[in-house]
Amino acid sequence: MSAAAPRRIRLTPWAGLAALAAVPFIDALLPGGLRLEDPMSEVFIYAILALGLNVLTGFTGLLNLGVAAFAAIGAYAFAIATCEIYPFQLGFWPALGVTVAAGAIAGFALGAPTLRVRGDYLAIVTLGFGEIVKDVLVNLDTITKGTQGINPLPPPSFLGTPLEARGQYWLLLAFVTVTFVGVRALERSRVGRAWISIREDELASRAMGIRPDHAKMLAFATCAALAALAGALMVSRLSSSGEPGNYDFQVSILALCIIIVGGIGSVRGTLVGAIVMVGMNSIVLVKLSELVGSPDAPGAALDEAQGLAKVGVFLRTWAQNVLVNPTNWKFLLFGLALVLMMVFRPQGILPPRPLHEAPPEGGEEGA
Amino acid sequence: MTAILEARDVTMRFGGLVANERVSLSVRPGEIFAVIGPNGAGKTTLFNAITGIYEPTEGEVLFEGRPIRREWGMSDRVKGLAVGLVSAAVAVLALNASALWQGAIVDRYVYGEAFPWGEALDSVPRTLRESGFWLTWFAAAVGFAVARLGFGAIWKAQRRTPDLVARAGVARTFQNIRLFGEMNLVENVLVGMDQHFRSGYWSCLLRPPGFWRERERMRRRAFDLLKFVDLADNAADAARSLPYGHQRRLEIARALATRPRLILLDEPAAGMNPAESADLMKLIRRIRESGVTVVLIEHDMKVVMGISDRIAVLQYGRKIAEGTPDEIRNDPVCIAAYLGTEDLG
Amino acid sequence: MQRAVAAAEQLAILALARADGLPAFAADGALSSWEVFGQQLVTGLSNGMIIALIAIGYTMVYGIVELINFAHGDLCMLGAFFALTAVGALGMSEWGGAGGAVGLVSLLVATAFFCGALNWSINRLAYRPLRKASKLSLLVSAIGASFILVNLGLFWGGMPMDVFAGGNSSAAPKAFPALVEPEPAAHLGDVIVSRPDVLVLLVTVPLMGALTWLVRFTKLGKAMRAVAQNPTAAALMGIDVERVIGATFFIGGSLGGFATVVYSIYNQTVSFQMGYRMGMDAFIAAVLGGIGNLPGAVLGGLLIGVVRAMSDQYIETRWTNAVVFGILILILVFRPSGLLGAKLREKV
Repeated sequence: MSAAAPRRIRLTPWAGLAALAAVPFIDALLPGGLRLEDPMSEVFIYAILALGLNVLTGFTGLLNLGVAAFAAIGAYAFAIATCEIYPFQLGFWPALGVTVAAGAIAGFALGAPTLRVRGDYLAIVTLGFGEIVKDVLVNLDTITKGTQGINPLPPPSFLGTPLEARGQYWLLLAFVTVTFVGVRALERSRVGRAWISIREDELASRAMGIRPDHAKMLAFATCAALAALAGALMVSRLSSSGEPGNYDFQVSILALCIIIVGGIGSVRGTLVGAIVMVGMNSIVLVKLSELVGSPDAPGAALDEAQGLAKVGVFLRTWAQNVLVNPTNWKFLLFGLALVLMMVFRPQGILPPRPLHEAPPEGGEEGA
Repeated sequence: MTAILEARDVTMRFGGLVANERVSLSVRPGEIFAVIGPNGAGKTTLFNAITGIYEPTEGEVLFEGRPIRREWGMSDRVKGLAVGLVSAAVAVLALNASALWQGAIVDRYVYGEAFPWGEALDSVPRTLRESGFWLTWFAAAVGFAVARLGFGAIWKAQRRTPDLVARAGVARTFQNIRLFGEMNLVENVLVGMDQHFRSGYWSCLLRPPGFWRERERMRRRAFDLLKFVDLADNAADAARSLPYGHQRRLEIARALATRPRLILLDEPAAGMNPAESADLMKLIRRIRESGVTVVLIEHDMKVVMGISDRIAVLQYGRKIAEGTPDEIRNDPVCIAAYLGTEDLG
Repeated sequence: MQRAVAAAEQLAILALARADGLPAFAADGALSSWEVFGQQLVTGLSNGMIIALIAIGYTMVYGIVELINFAHGDLCMLGAFFALTAVGALGMSEWGGAGGAVGLVSLLVATAFFCGALNWSINRLAYRPLRKASKLSLLVSAIGASFILVNLGLFWGGMPMDVFAGGNSSAAPKAFPALVEPEPAAHLGDVIVSRPDVLVLLVTVPLMGALTWLVRFTKLGKAMRAVAQNPTAAALMGIDVERVIGATFFIGGSLGGFATVVYSIYNQTVSFQMGYRMGMDAFIAAVLGGIGNLPGAVLGGLLIGVVRAMSDQYIETRWTNAVVFGILILILVFRPSGLLGAKLREKV
């Protein structure tokens, strides 16, 4: 019997990886406004966060509305471990280890007491956890510096050398790739099968001897560890922990939208979702508002105008106040995209492909 | 011969509704035992009580002479204590987080100088003492109590769960088929085999050579089980796409994958045509020959009378008769129960 | 018993006050003062009643389509903008006496109708096409609808009207005129019950009564309960399921409309972000009581209102959210289906 199962090698993923790795070189040829390196780094970080969430919500079916809290825990653990205003001052890699461990512990801490809480009740518990973590981070300002944030933080480094923008881009790409491969490996093993069977029918999977508590705890810890990693990478890139408000409900929802738009439970879909949603959120809208520029101050002609003209002036003033600035349309576009997506393609852009466990070759020999 | 499965005076009440009333059964190893009765007689409820989906209101279920339930053992006691103590410590530390941090880190750290770790550690008990004796103990007590009670509540809810029963060696199928529809046949069976895998989380993530070997071995075994129930040709199809009768056989394969010593089949012949039922009877006999005791609920009297060694009859939640197929066929009570509804063959 | 509770509370308060490093808890008689406690209780109950009214909207919709209607809080926010616009356009803050009372009632009804119609339309556009899809898709659609409403609120706040401060900053919170002056209406000992408190009582209690009557005794109520239990069976019995669902959304939304006017008068501020806070409190209340359960929503609302008020007073405002969520999580650990929620028993 052969030790390794036959593995097909497909070209698409390798081509995609090569294209992404080439982005910094292409960027060098483009004018400043169109460069992709920075926005793509953000896409990668959100992709890691969403891959973690996909384990919990996509595979295991446990709706988590507070994944940003895990990212915040990771971010602050990393910041405290590395920042020079504290005595720990770990290097980039050891600090990442601490961060991931802290995330996993936080995942256990949330997962263990809530094993019995189901469905929408779990959703609100996770949401509450997100709010609590945020408030605690703001309020314990002796430790976290409150809304001021912890800075400066060391940039990502490799083999002792701090990385420049281009190096950071590749490092993040490597992290996404490793996370992708890891999550995929888990999905296609007994661990992933147990998760998915719980999502499909918890009672039936229990009756087959699967221990849901065990599997759910692993899912919680995996999700939290990856989210914490994403948080740490984010703050390391920005060189500041930012304020706790940066890890609010919006972030959790963005991560949730990424996995749902990409195709819930689909690992490839999560990457596509990250590009689409983060792209829309922080590339298209930002670029648009840069193009339009800031709106003029509202006119004062409203009081003087009469009759129908007054309506015209009213509308024009209103438009000048808010409507012309594309960032003011952000939520509307975001919301419309979600609703239309759900109405016309609820399974997401790349829904998960089932049937990955092929029957063994030459299964003729009897037992 | 001791019974492999014994139900003693099992009573199941849902509010005012009595689904089972003092039902006692005794199934011998290696036999095929049927439970019959009109719709609503409480047969499936009995199965649910046996497999841990419900907890019997009264009475108990013994498998191989012992009840399947977690006992509050030494390890649970230690775990409960540990959970409580950790929470108490967390509560105390959280309550004094700012002061502790101030005393241990902020007051001592000077940029660019070596940090006195020993002094920082020493400051912890001092800060806690300063924060007030009662407050510290109160926080510790609350933290301990809440965590310990929570641990107890969760443990109590998990005393006798279906996964525990399945792992003890009792497998089952469901009346309303509950397959994993999006998975293919091999994967469905592999879910049943989960407890027999040796590779854990890290092995699944890092995939050392042992992982691949085990994976291949398990897939082959799953495939053999599919052959056993005559579904090998469809191995790569999604469970959802199978015809009804095949789905019932797949459920049996999935249940067998847990390597049970006792299998409970809930209406395995429902929705099957006569030819399929005949195949099913052969399959059930082969399961018994492989050393697995079979208990089944069935309405198809041809199947019941054809393969059962003994039969129990339930009506309105009570057992009204038990015996060999011949005895049941001639029992006036059973004939009365079935009169006008079904023919006892 | 009460004494023991108070003592325990005092200890807990001391404990929590320490948590953020206060040098010592300044027990300047505030704790022993039953008046302060009573006053906070009144405030808490008033806010709780408003929360309960909004929570009913969540719980009704959940009961019938199993959807956490994320857009509900933001719907209420738009209702507040609608009310503020009406007040500004008609100059209602100047009306006094009987005219003011009639105006207030008309404002309540108009806002309720606005919110009801809006909720009905959202159901029609964003939820109805997804009736057969998974619950998660429905939830995401609701989140999308919530975003759209938030953005509409942002636009609305930019209207160049005086009540919106000329729309100079559309995102800034707007002051809601005190249509009911916050003056004492009654004294219970030294505890003051203000006129807005009375307004809350006058609006919420009859509405809850009417809703109970509607659900229990009318044909529509019976149809709603039937659809909640089993939509397929209800449809087979000749009930127009979609009409019933639409009516549920309308009623839930209009209750939110009533609530939002009272809320705005009570708290005197309106902003496009208020929906999140309002929705969150109401959502917690609904879950705490056992989602899908009407008395549970009221109980949960009152509990949240009181806990909030007490935490604001005795702990610290900045810890209030954490306290509320902490209590929620604790309760769900011990009672996973909420206080009054039925234990889930899966049909096997």
